Amino acid sequence: MQNLNLYSRGDKLFVRINIFLLTLFALSTLYPFIYIAAVSFSSGSAVTSGEVIYRPIELTLAAYEYVWNESQFWVSYMNTFIYTIFGTLVSLLIIIPGAYALSRPQLIGRRFFNLFVAFTLWFNAGLIPFFLNMRDLGLLDSYFGIIVGFACNAFNVILLRNFFEGIPQSFEEAARMDGANDFQVLWKVYLPLSKPAIATVALFCIVSRWNGFFWAMILLRDESKIPLQVFLRQTIVSLTNDEEFGSTLLEAAYSYETVTAAIIVASIIPVLFIYPFLQKYFNKGILLGGVKE
Amino acid sequence: MSQVVLEKIVKSYGEVDVVHGIDLTVDSKEFVVLVGPSGCGKSTTLRMIAGLEEISGGKLSIGDRMVNDIAPKDRDVAMVFQNYALYPHLNVSENIAFGLRIRKVDKEEIKRSVSEVAEILGLTNYLDRKPADLSGGQRQRVAMGRAIVRHPQVFLFDEPLSNLDAQLRTQMRAEIKRLHARLGVTSIYVTHDQVEAMTLADRIVVMSAGRIEQIGTPMELFMNPVNRFVAGFIGSPPMNQIKATIVAGVDGPEAKISDSVSIPLSRAEGLASATGQSVIVGIRPEDVLLEAAGGEPSVPLEVNLIEPLGSEALIHASVGGEPFVIKTPTHGDIAHLNDIRQFHVNVDRVKVFDEKSGSALYQADQARG
Ligand SMILES: Nc1ncnc2c1ncn2[C@@H]1O[C@H](COP(=O)(O)OP(=O)(O)OP(=O)(O)O)[C@@H](O)[C@H]1O
Ligand SMILES: [Mg+2]
Repeated sequence: MQNLNLYSRGDKLFVRINIFLLTLFALSTLYPFIYIAAVSFSSGSAVTSGEVIYRPIELTLAAYEYVWNESQFWVSYMNTFIYTIFGTLVSLLIIIPGAYALSRPQLIGRRFFNLFVAFTLWFNAGLIPFFLNMRDLGLLDSYFGIIVGFACNAFNVILLRNFFEGIPQSFEEAARMDGANDFQVLWKVYLPLSKPAIATVALFCIVSRWNGFFWAMILLRDESKIPLQVFLRQTIVSLTNDEEFGSTLLEAAYSYETVTAAIIVASIIPVLFIYPFLQKYFNKGILLGGVKE
Repeated sequence: MSQVVLEKIVKSYGEVDVVHGIDLTVDSKEFVVLVGPSGCGKSTTLRMIAGLEEISGGKLSIGDRMVNDIAPKDRDVAMVFQNYALYPHLNVSENIAFGLRIRKVDKEEIKRSVSEVAEILGLTNYLDRKPADLSGGQRQRVAMGRAIVRHPQVFLFDEPLSNLDAQLRTQMRAEIKRLHARLGVTSIYVTHDQVEAMTLADRIVVMSAGRIEQIGTPMELFMNPVNRFVAGFIGSPPMNQIKATIVAGVDGPEAKISDSVSIPLSRAEGLASATGQSVIVGIRPEDVLLEAAGGEPSVPLEVNLIEPLGSEALIHASVGGEPFVIKTPTHGDIAHLNDIRQFHVNVDRVKVFDEKSGSALYQADQARG
């Protein structure tokens, strides 16, 4: 923390208000997590009667036991990993060279291609045509369809392209003089200099894949291929409709709320591990010292 | 054989020509400096030689190959950039080795070359540092190391010293000269600093607005500028240029500056016919006598400002309302310089240029170096 005495009175007030607002913001985003975690460890009756606010009531692992013994949970968990890992890899494989090419001033037709990519940010075919397109390509109910069909994201391409454009052209020229070809320039110079941007894009890919729900629900019928988010939805739908599950088990240790909360907690954990791992790439000033302006 | 030959080299960006047909032969092992004001096309020319900029017209050869359509990496040239362009993520040793690694040179060989280059440039103690942790001078050295480690046929420098402070620049200038003497590699060096040009060059190419004004040794350019542009560009402070008219004098043509002052142009063959022509008389600030030795024409002046430089001083004066600068030894005292009311022209050093075309009509003295 910086020494507050170095600030003027007005600035101190400003800093305090900032801290207050940011704390409020942090709590408001944190609370749903806390609540869900508390629910997942509480008994079904405690949740139904509205006793759970921020800590588990009648602590139990019943919901987790239920989830643990549900084989479909493990299948979809596995699928989510597959979609996330391969989806992210394929995305990076397409986005990085694409963004690099679009960032080069010597690219013939650069304006056109850039417009072409940006266009998809505002206009796309929409649900039905896209679905029909995927169907005609035989990509329904297929891992390949989900992984490749959503690999290229215009926003990420533009983000990375802008970052590449910000790297002084003289690095490319120096590398060319040193004998590098296009791929070597990209691989040995631009990629190492772009770690923060690539980490950002990778994180976007990972999170959107991990949380990917809508298209997976539309395009996948086969239970053995659905990801966790779709399974979660199915669980919610089936358990709320299941009269017995709610009423006859009034005294049971779990309810559909605690079960869904347990699935959500299970699905959040891996993402929590990824961010700190990528965090180290978000350091600034990597270009420092290479060129003198 | 690693001479570089430019024949009618043209560069245009769309409709705009920025380099208008340059002819230049840089001999093997020669050190040639391109100078000129900002925007005259020096960098563009250099970058065309490097292969970083496409050549719009003309023919470029390096060694005995025409290289117009050859990629930079296959031209066997190395370049030192103004901003150094060191790879920030690599340390000094990796920066120097980069080009060799790309070329898949043997690991042991790379190690040997890098330590040899580090030795030459005094970088041995910094091999593990990242560029960010180096001083400006050290970065500059790494940039040079990256160029020399490959033993290219030609070195290209684009204002390599312009980011350094004055003292370091002088030091690095000497170092570049020493390196060139040691390695004997054909070098083309761009700068707009004429001191760098004068001290480093075997030959200087003065450019302006995409054209070559003059090519010659530093002393040739200094003593015999072919036009007003070169006369004004080479030499510091620049040559004074005064309007005059050619008149017929007793011993031959004279340049008449004012009703009372004429400068005899004794050796001016061919100028006799130019009587009546409007000309510009060029007098270098240091070619002025404050005390007449005998018979030199004297010109009245008004002193405006004295700038002491130590052993010398600059007198900013006006002659017939036009600014005129004199450089003179101080002998430790500048007070008396304020009392100067006139100067004497060293007629052996006077240049005369055509007022319209700017080209030299008359050079009193010929270069001796
Ligand atoms: N991409 C471009 N498009 C259009 N004109 C350009 C382009 N690049 C350079 N020019 C023009 O070409 C001319 C020569 O530029 P160049 O960089 O060679 O000048 P320079 O002599 O190196 O100047 P400086 O001393 O400032 O570096 C300039 O007038 C510049 O405006
Ligand atoms: Mg330049």
